[in-house]
Amino acid sequence: MKQTPKEEMIQERLKPGVVTLEGFLGQDKRHYHEIISEDLDRLKSLGKSHGDIAERIQYFTDQAFEFADEAGIVDDHYEIQYQTERGKLISPFMDNVFVPKGFVRLTNLKNGVTVEWTPLNIYMIKQYGFFEGKGSTHRVEPDKLIKAIF
Amino acid sequence: MIILIINNVVILAGIGGFLAMLLVIADYFLANYGDCNIDINQGKKKFTVKGGSSLLSSLAEKMVFIPSACGGKGTCGLCKVKLLKEIGPVLPTEKPYLDKDELKNGVRLSCQIKVKQDIFIHIPEALFSIKKFRGKVERIIDYTYDIKGVYIKLDEPKNIEFKAGQYVQLESKKYGKVKQVVSRAYSMSSPPFEEDKIELIIRLVPDGIMTNYVHKQLHQGDDISFTGPYGEFFIRDSKADMIFVAGGSGMAPFKSILADLEKQQSKRRIVYLFGARTEKDLFLVDEMRHFEDTLADFTFIPVLSQADEDSDWKGKKGYIPPILKDYVKDPDNTEGYLCGSPGLLAVTEKEMHKLGIKNVYYDSFG
Ligand SMILES: Cc1cc2nc3c(=O)[nH]c(=O)nc-3n(C[C@H](O)[C@H](O)[C@H](O)COP(=O)(O)OP(=O)(O)OC[C@H]3O[C@@H](n4cnc5c(N)ncnc54)[C@H](O)[C@@H]3O)c2cc1C
Ligand code: FES
Repeated sequence: MKQTPKEEMIQERLKPGVVTLEGFLGQDKRHYHEIISEDLDRLKSLGKSHGDIAERIQYFTDQAFEFADEAGIVDDHYEIQYQTERGKLISPFMDNVFVPKGFVRLTNLKNGVTVEWTPLNIYMIKQYGFFEGKGSTHRVEPDKLIKAIF
Repeated sequence: MIILIINNVVILAGIGGFLAMLLVIADYFLANYGDCNIDINQGKKKFTVKGGSSLLSSLAEKMVFIPSACGGKGTCGLCKVKLLKEIGPVLPTEKPYLDKDELKNGVRLSCQIKVKQDIFIHIPEALFSIKKFRGKVERIIDYTYDIKGVYIKLDEPKNIEFKAGQYVQLESKKYGKVKQVVSRAYSMSSPPFEEDKIELIIRLVPDGIMTNYVHKQLHQGDDISFTGPYGEFFIRDSKADMIFVAGGSGMAPFKSILADLEKQQSKRRIVYLFGARTEKDLFLVDEMRHFEDTLADFTFIPVLSQADEDSDWKGKKGYIPPILKDYVKDPDNTEGYLCGSPGLLAVTEKEMHKLGIKNVYYDSFG
């Protein structure tokens, strides 16, 4: 696939040890465009957009921020904990955006599904529909995420 | 016919690529830019460097340290400087990190610019006092299962001057999959009067580039470097009561501040609330009890949010924000000092303001 120089640089930044320790691709050998387009197709078939998902996980993250790193309950049946970390991380998409570090874990107490994400996941999902490559330590599976948060 | 066209395109692309490679090689081996002058803040600092290196490294060679978290690889976007005279077009590697205003005002990434001619720049004056330090890891202490204390004995320069509460930018080395040097901020936990060494208290962040380096790669005797000191988190000179609130590695600046206050024989009233989940997350408790003995009016209160059911913990349980009010005597005459995770800080600051404490200090994490 023909890539612009910027896309080539982004693909490099998604590899391990550049922006983050394990990178964003896992064992996925595909170009990030292909990863995004497959996930967006899957979302379409599930009747959701990446914008809907980002908005929802941002909502949970903001609520959990108020719990000062402890676990708490949001909207009756979502148990959620946001371990905030000092410092910011640059987005690998070369868009001059710095995002807080940290981890969020949410369990839907009605169906028992647990999912995890980081503030960088929220940003990459919202802006690019990027859920990360298969096998990446922080890939957020769209199917599982939808089961947990809606 | 199509095969002929494809062949020609491939041949032309090959020749183009070869010529581009030749140019790069020629630039590397043959280009001699001679001596170039660098002028900072309209003559505040001036020096001459041998042309050909990046602006970031040319400045570092002359002891001017521009913030950087990726060791000059063009991936962190932190090494911005303002050019006062244009030197050529902004490179594709810089553009994504610069917004419209920055582009209009001549801001560039200093690691991407090569010094080939005289350069005139503007940087914040505070950067003039930043130095680069090289040292050796003297000792590594396991404070808890995920927090280590790292003592660094200074080799060059041999001493450091800083205010208790300030931080440094620690630099890692390449390791495993990490092919570049990264740097991260860490508060100094040793007191300023121990001028020949510093201690850092570092919590392991899962998947963190720097903290995995410190926790899994760094050993006693290793060479290590950092720049600093940075930051505005230090005790304000007043007689007001002080409430310190910290969690986890947020202990670091307070360890330094308390040793400094002990040396000054401070008479100020100080309450230090330290939040942890369980007893396994508590550390340096004996040192804090020591300050209770030596300082005129100091109380250390560890607070556990998830004390084990079967533990015989007799101290405070719960969260810090709701119990803050028990320790504030006169809000108008109280200063708050906070260090720890952004979540704890935000909620504590809000609570302090609610109680009427106006002066609340912490490091910003931007
Ligand atoms: C002023 C200041 C003082 C500080 N002082 C101290 C101190 O004294 N002690 C201390 O321990 N810390 C301190 N810190 C924090 C420290 O600077 C680092 O930010 C921290 O140690 C983490 O660095 P790291 O390189 O290990 O993590 P990084 O690698 O920079 O970031 C890890 C984060 O990246 C995200 N992430 C990783 N991989 C992915 C992925 N594939 N997809 C999505 N997200 C991902 C996660 O959110 C994770 O939290 C301080 C920070 C500041 C700003
Ligand atoms: S030093 Fe990181 S982009 Fe320049």
